[in-house]
Amino acid sequence: MPGPYKETDLTERVEAFLSDLKRGGTGAGPLRGSAETARETTALLRKITAQARWGSAGDLMEIIRKEGRRMTAAQRVLKIIREEYARSRGNSEEADQESLHKLLTSGGLSEENVIEAINELLTELEGTTDNIAMQALEHIHSNEVIMTIGRSRTVEAFLKDAARKRKFHVIVAECAPFCQGHEMATNLSKAGIETTVITDAAIFAVMSRVNKVIIGTQTVLANGASPTPLIVCAPMFKLSPQFPNEEDTFHKFVSPHEVLPFTEGEILSKVNVHCPVFDYVLPELITLFISNIGGHAPSYIYRLMSELYHPEDHEL
Amino acid sequence: MASKGGKQSRSASGLSGRKGAGDQEEEDQPLQAVLVADSFNRRFFPVTKDQPRALLPLGNVAMIDYTLEFLTSTGVQETFVFCCWMASKIKAHLQKSKWCRPSSPNTVHIITSDLYRSLGDVLRDVDAKSLVRSDFVLVYGDVVSNIDISQALQEHRHRRKMDKNISVMTMIFKESSPGHRSRCEEDDVIVAVDSKSQQILHYQKTQGLKKLQFPMNIFHSGSDEFEIRHDLLDSHISICSPQVAELFTDNFDYQTRDDFVRGLLVNEEILGNQIHVHVTKDGYGVRVSNLLMYDSVSSDLVRRWVYPLTPEANFTDQEGHSCTYSRHNVYRASGVSLGHGSQMEENVLIGCDTSIGANCYISNSVIGDNCIIGDNVVLDHAYIWNHVHIASNVEIIQSVICDKAEVKEGVTLKKQCVLAYDVVIGPNISLPEGTVVSMHHPEEEEEEDDDEFLSDDAEVGHRSDKTKQKVFNPAEVGAEGKGYIWKASSLDDTEEEELSQCLWGLVLNPDPESDSEDSETDGPDDPVIPSPEMDDVKVFHMEVLGTLQRGLEENISCDNLVLEINSLKYAYNISLKEVMQILTRVVLEYPFQQQGSHLTPSQYVALLLPLLKKWAPVFKNYVKRAQDHLDCLSAFEEHFLEQESHWAAMVKVLMNMYELEILEEEMILRWFSQGATGDKSRQLRKNQGLQKFIQWLEEAEESSEEDGE
Repeated sequence: MPGPYKETDLTERVEAFLSDLKRGGTGAGPLRGSAETARETTALLRKITAQARWGSAGDLMEIIRKEGRRMTAAQRVLKIIREEYARSRGNSEEADQESLHKLLTSGGLSEENVIEAINELLTELEGTTDNIAMQALEHIHSNEVIMTIGRSRTVEAFLKDAARKRKFHVIVAECAPFCQGHEMATNLSKAGIETTVITDAAIFAVMSRVNKVIIGTQTVLANGASPTPLIVCAPMFKLSPQFPNEEDTFHKFVSPHEVLPFTEGEILSKVNVHCPVFDYVLPELITLFISNIGGHAPSYIYRLMSELYHPEDHEL
Repeated sequence: MASKGGKQSRSASGLSGRKGAGDQEEEDQPLQAVLVADSFNRRFFPVTKDQPRALLPLGNVAMIDYTLEFLTSTGVQETFVFCCWMASKIKAHLQKSKWCRPSSPNTVHIITSDLYRSLGDVLRDVDAKSLVRSDFVLVYGDVVSNIDISQALQEHRHRRKMDKNISVMTMIFKESSPGHRSRCEEDDVIVAVDSKSQQILHYQKTQGLKKLQFPMNIFHSGSDEFEIRHDLLDSHISICSPQVAELFTDNFDYQTRDDFVRGLLVNEEILGNQIHVHVTKDGYGVRVSNLLMYDSVSSDLVRRWVYPLTPEANFTDQEGHSCTYSRHNVYRASGVSLGHGSQMEENVLIGCDTSIGANCYISNSVIGDNCIIGDNVVLDHAYIWNHVHIASNVEIIQSVICDKAEVKEGVTLKKQCVLAYDVVIGPNISLPEGTVVSMHHPEEEEEEDDDEFLSDDAEVGHRSDKTKQKVFNPAEVGAEGKGYIWKASSLDDTEEEELSQCLWGLVLNPDPESDSEDSETDGPDDPVIPSPEMDDVKVFHMEVLGTLQRGLEENISCDNLVLEINSLKYAYNISLKEVMQILTRVVLEYPFQQQGSHLTPSQYVALLLPLLKKWAPVFKNYVKRAQDHLDCLSAFEEHFLEQESHWAAMVKVLMNMYELEILEEEMILRWFSQGATGDKSRQLRKNQGLQKFIQWLEEAEESSEEDGE
């Protein structure tokens, strides 16, 4: 009986998830990588779909929108519901808009179908890293010098996959102050890849010798050059329909503790320390995105975006 | 169904939760916390006259929310909030907050009483109602922290497991060098810590003292390594065992945690309780104990030191309180309007629906919700709470302006001004440094509320020269002003209490010389540990000698001797360890005392052995724990180091003590292998007889082990 008890259980789970996210900090919490976060979010939404009471597709979308407002990752699921509805009606995609009113009011959308579609999304999420890694051989050639920065699981898998057939050299910038680059380099050298760790300051000096830069990303924004090609490994779930209004809004600043320890004393009151974790890379500087469904130019991102998210769901 | 029941009891009210406590003896007890939502002092007066301190906004969020968020994120599942002053307001706040939602992972019980006068009262009540079942976290309602205490908790539990009920409390300190902005000068402490066990040996508030005294016993404590640290910032977070509450009940004179720590350290040997520290380098943990701390914690918060508790995280989950974060630590909530040419330089937080006029210059400030700020306003280190109106051409530097206050045109607030609730200032007036304005008349509160707060330190605002007039003085607050000046400036104030009481803390007085003088004459905060005077120890030494002599002459039983020595111990305030050492020395020196120092080793032994036999019960009474054995042995060693000619007698005496079961072989072996501290004592250990004896002991132990198998 999905009585009120179940619903409170659900909100409890949602809230626990949210506070975990907020406290996630520098990745010390239970949610470490973005892939886990995406999977967790989708699983949660599936749970909501399964447990919450909803009569029509409109209700369900409203529910998910409500929860999603706090999670800002629900767009894919909303799109799925729309598509699923469209399919169940036998309508084509174009008719979607016209039937919107009907969609919001009528029933005729079976829970199983929606959940099945969400499950598909989950499977897709699980396989993203592998899918991206599979394309490695197309992009990395023998005797190339590849540079990467910090640690990204996707990039790591990508490079390891390439290393099965090709022989190349990887230069890892350590990415101070957290120095995840060290971990990355250890993992790569374990896989038998020739690896060099450099300080962040040395990037400029080394750049002339580098054939390609391959990095991971936190988010690919909706609008999304140098002589060295920059390749970004980004699974589809990293796509965000948001445009960068103010560059800074997408930065994540953490406690300056790592840069200047709190124990320093008097100097702290005299300086301002900023410790950004991510940087904004202009789309012009990016040569290619490699996602789990293939390689894309930055200018093509808008198209992917419309495939993945319904324009009405951009603002939750 | 079973899980359903569990859920209900978790979110049940305080009463039924307590009732269920008895039968709910689970394997892993949920972590509990006691949150004291009252400061029991009037440091924030007169601001706290209208709002309890725990609800004062810090970065536009009530302080208690930070504390609760900290507790929740460290895994506390049940929190008891104790309120006294304005309890109903705190209660109302909490009931509205996310902590009281049924989905909250941390169940909050609110316990109110007007009778709480101190932390001691609260903990006595905890004990009386037997609220805590296992180790709990003790914090104040004004602690802002993101320290991960799980490691400290683990260490604490481990210690509790190792030797049952010895360690009662673990205090959490944050490492930060002196002069650190977030160090509260009033809370500066010198702590002597055993480096290995992290046990506190000595704890003293420095209060600007230039001379510090350490009791001798920390130097001859059993451990060979200890640290004296001044680089610690007291986070006011402590992990306590349920015994702490019991100890507060047993000692009704304990008011504060300092009393408790002091009491426990003085009586350590009697009660056998110990306090440990956990020093953390990471994380942030500071108590907002005065306005100076309020200033520094606010700016730390805005500069993201408390990450992930940042203003834009909106961890309290309030509607419409989310804000955006942009370059140079500028946070803007929704609905903020900024006039043309206005600059937000850096470290600025602006609450929702606040409008700011043109050509303003704002830096290092926090502005609350629904404020209206005019044109050409300069704000630096200004803390402006909610619904404040500030007219044009105003300059505010390092000041606090409470809810619904109004600052009219052309007003200048110099450093460290405070405008309490509903105050109106101006127009065209400049308030001197350190002005405090409130709608409450200073006299009026003195009459009415004196018993409302327990003044830990002293009364505030004791001024007989203050006129009793109850009209606003336009010369002080401006032509249209409303409010009474509380204190013109503290600089001309010579009252010591006044200084330590003032809102902004000790730093107000820029002269370090008079600062330290003030603290020295500070009555209630005198040297925290009454360190035993050397003279006392000497007198005690003589008295013990006299007692033993008399006991020998009059043939007094050993039980009575123990009683007499115990009473002497209290009379001279001697630690148990010193008793042990003095007793050992007295007995060993006894033959010399009686017959002069020309005795040969064999004569000495002949005289000493009967005495040892006679007084063995006295020794056994004191020498119990492992540490006692080592203390006794170190006194033994000291004696023989002074009497080099009698080393031949040493083995016999030691052997005798072993045979009388005063000392255990294990401890003798440990002393022998570890105790060497200097060249001479190493030489002493090379003594042939001693080595033989040790060898014999080792063999005996081996053979006994073999027997055991």
